[in-house]
Amino acid sequence: MAIKTLDIIRRRVEERPEELKKERANGKKVLGWIGYHIPEEVAYSLGFIPIRISVGGDSKLVEVGARYASSKTCVFLREIVGAFAENTDPYIQETDVLAFDATCLQNFRAAEVIEYFFKRDVVVLGVPRNVYWEEAIEYFTQEAKEFTRLLEERAGVSVDKKKLAEAVDLFNKIRAALKEIYQYQASKGNVISWLEVYDLIQAGYVLDKQEYLQLLQQTLAELKEQQSYIDIEQEAGEARIFISGSVIPRGDRKLINIITSLGGRIVGDDIWTGIIPYLDLNIKEISPEGIALGYLNRTPHGALPYLELKTDKRLKKLHGLLDEYKAQGVIYHTLRYCDPYTFKAKETKDVLAQSGIPLLEIHTEYAGSDYEAIRTRVEAFVEMIRNQTIESEEEVSA
Amino acid sequence: MSRKELFRYSEENKEEFLKSDNITFNDGTVVTPEEIWHYLTVEAPVKYPNAYEINELRGSRRTRDEKYVTGLKSQYLSLTLSERMEKAKDKGKTVAFIQGGQAVDPYTAADTIALRPALVNNWNSGRKYGETVYERNVRTKGIKERAYHDMSFEACQTGGFEHIQAGDLRVDVIAPYSALRCSDVSYGLEAHRHGPNDKVKLFLGDYPMRFQADKEWAIEYFAHNIRKLIETLDEISGKKTTEEDLKNSIKLHNEGRKLAIEASEIWWSAEVPPTTGGERGALFGLGTLEGHGDVQATLSVLKEAKNIIAERVKKGVKGHKISDNPKRLFVLGSCVGINASRSEDAGAIVVGTDNHWSHVVKLVDEEGDPYYNLAKATLEYPYEQSIEKRAAWTVEQIKKSRADGVIFLHNWGCNTQAAISRAIVDVIKRETGLPTFISERELGGLSNEQEQNRVNAFVEML
Repeated sequence: MAIKTLDIIRRRVEERPEELKKERANGKKVLGWIGYHIPEEVAYSLGFIPIRISVGGDSKLVEVGARYASSKTCVFLREIVGAFAENTDPYIQETDVLAFDATCLQNFRAAEVIEYFFKRDVVVLGVPRNVYWEEAIEYFTQEAKEFTRLLEERAGVSVDKKKLAEAVDLFNKIRAALKEIYQYQASKGNVISWLEVYDLIQAGYVLDKQEYLQLLQQTLAELKEQQSYIDIEQEAGEARIFISGSVIPRGDRKLINIITSLGGRIVGDDIWTGIIPYLDLNIKEISPEGIALGYLNRTPHGALPYLELKTDKRLKKLHGLLDEYKAQGVIYHTLRYCDPYTFKAKETKDVLAQSGIPLLEIHTEYAGSDYEAIRTRVEAFVEMIRNQTIESEEEVSA
Repeated sequence: MSRKELFRYSEENKEEFLKSDNITFNDGTVVTPEEIWHYLTVEAPVKYPNAYEINELRGSRRTRDEKYVTGLKSQYLSLTLSERMEKAKDKGKTVAFIQGGQAVDPYTAADTIALRPALVNNWNSGRKYGETVYERNVRTKGIKERAYHDMSFEACQTGGFEHIQAGDLRVDVIAPYSALRCSDVSYGLEAHRHGPNDKVKLFLGDYPMRFQADKEWAIEYFAHNIRKLIETLDEISGKKTTEEDLKNSIKLHNEGRKLAIEASEIWWSAEVPPTTGGERGALFGLGTLEGHGDVQATLSVLKEAKNIIAERVKKGVKGHKISDNPKRLFVLGSCVGINASRSEDAGAIVVGTDNHWSHVVKLVDEEGDPYYNLAKATLEYPYEQSIEKRAAWTVEQIKKSRADGVIFLHNWGCNTQAAISRAIVDVIKRETGLPTFISERELGGLSNEQEQNRVNAFVEML
């Protein structure tokens, strides 16, 4: 049985650009954002409609973007730049203010290029790299205050503590609902797939937040009705795949479709456009800087270096998620020129090998020319994992 | 393999060379011109025949001009780097691997030799004697490929990862700055955490991004990074670097920076270029005092060089084999450059760069808190500013250098510089009206011919 609310969500996403036009005509401002540390709650409390800019999978836009940035810019950001150049994406068209963070150097550079060539109003949040230092926290606190001041200027209002608390409450509920829904997709007898949840997460980038929460709760209610239990276990013949690495934005479903079409079951992810930004976000103080620190203390983005392998939070989280979702193998997706993740591919493979978890790196871009090559490699990987499951089942039976 | 014919320095120039100054090193030792001449003409051709090969790339000679004393001394310092580093390590000196386009004042203060990728590679290359250019290339290329495998094949360069991780070089700490000029610095640093050499310490100087020189909290944070850097270096050496040490180091480095700026003004003022483009670049690179792994030795060469340039300009001496009306090129972008000698053969000369110059021109305030002053100056590097501000400074340099054309050159895989190449060039074209072109360089040398063809075509068009 299908989850009917998912159809409603798809429809509402389609209707959203027209709604945004109307809202802007009524005086609302749209804040488009790209990054990992943008405290959305702050923008929301100031009356902005926060929209996460996310385009992907269009090699033509990638080519266009290269004319303004360079052919060495990562594929994702090249397409973003291309989308600003073409200015046909409805969310890009409807954006009044753009917020970027300096988590990834290329993200920051894309902000500069967009500001220079397309004359967009851009606000950038500085992000420290030595995040485990007190002084770095102090620096980031000041950056968050400055970022808020710049948003206040553009919103024409100051942060209201009550509204900020309401925004935090709303976003916390969204995060909690997403986390709960995510458990269902990894369970035995699941009625919702990982891809459906992934699309659901990305629907939240654009939908009105109140409505989004309500739709998530409706989805949960349906799930509870149709699937009375959550039992995350491996089953015989399954190939439970975990996706890690570079972003997979809306519009880019090449790798995901290849995996699922070959019978691989995706059960988890730790990618920037997946569940990871919603996990472990604890806001201890209701203030712009308190929220920003909550964002900073989550699982670090791959662009933030950490110099000690044994205590790396990102790898620890990866291990934890693999265990939680009973994943048997990792497909590590790296986009062309995505340095934060390509540099970590071999290391991650070596680290996981110590726990007996195989990793397949797929290095790709948005062109379709590598489709068959990827399909062959993924097919072999899925088959290997499935055979391992069958062999271990046979060993248990014997 | 049959040995190649080797170049020899002409004895004709010996007498004049012997009149030049001594080189004084950090540890107080002095090398006389006689000893340098002996090394260059007797010892080095046996140890490093690759540096004396007669070929299209001129071996790895620093200068084509045998009468240019500074060129010969720079070559001496370059050829002796490997032996000097080994000796320094035997004496317990700390060696740090650095990247990120920064001045090295804090490293000097903490009695540490700061080496960039090219120097680390030079150190390693120099450990083996008797190699031809071909033999050296084959050996080092093989090692490099392994490093790309361990890091990322999309890394712009491996930064000596292979030598440090193999334990071939006694580098104590990898301590770069995560400056904007390079995207791979912090990822390359992090890559060391999974290598076999767990003895090497890791430290990241976190350079706050988004043009933060006017933000007090960013200056304070970066000043703290410099403090922590010095503490890390002290942990290795067992010494205690004081605020006074840093102040003295700033004074010393300011002296180098001022000398380079003055020499540059003299060079640019000349009717005809007084040296080749390669010699010009090497000369102003001396201003950071870190180019040869010994700040005092570099300073002594630089002091003498300034006078040599002034003398050449006064006498109207023209750089070796420079054509009568060379097309003057300003090269900006990544930490790479065009082949100066081949471009000169095509009728051009490189008269300026932004990289390796931006951090020379920024003097550090000598009064007050040295950590704060150094942090502020570093955040003010013109190269690290916004597109418009960086381009405005570059335009100023282009005008001073009287360039006829501008090339933005970025290394393959250098996405931070490549990303803004068009925007920067756009402003320069608007403000100067000069012809410009953007080109990509491949450090492995695989596309040298294509790149040179493009440069030559550009020069022809000029």
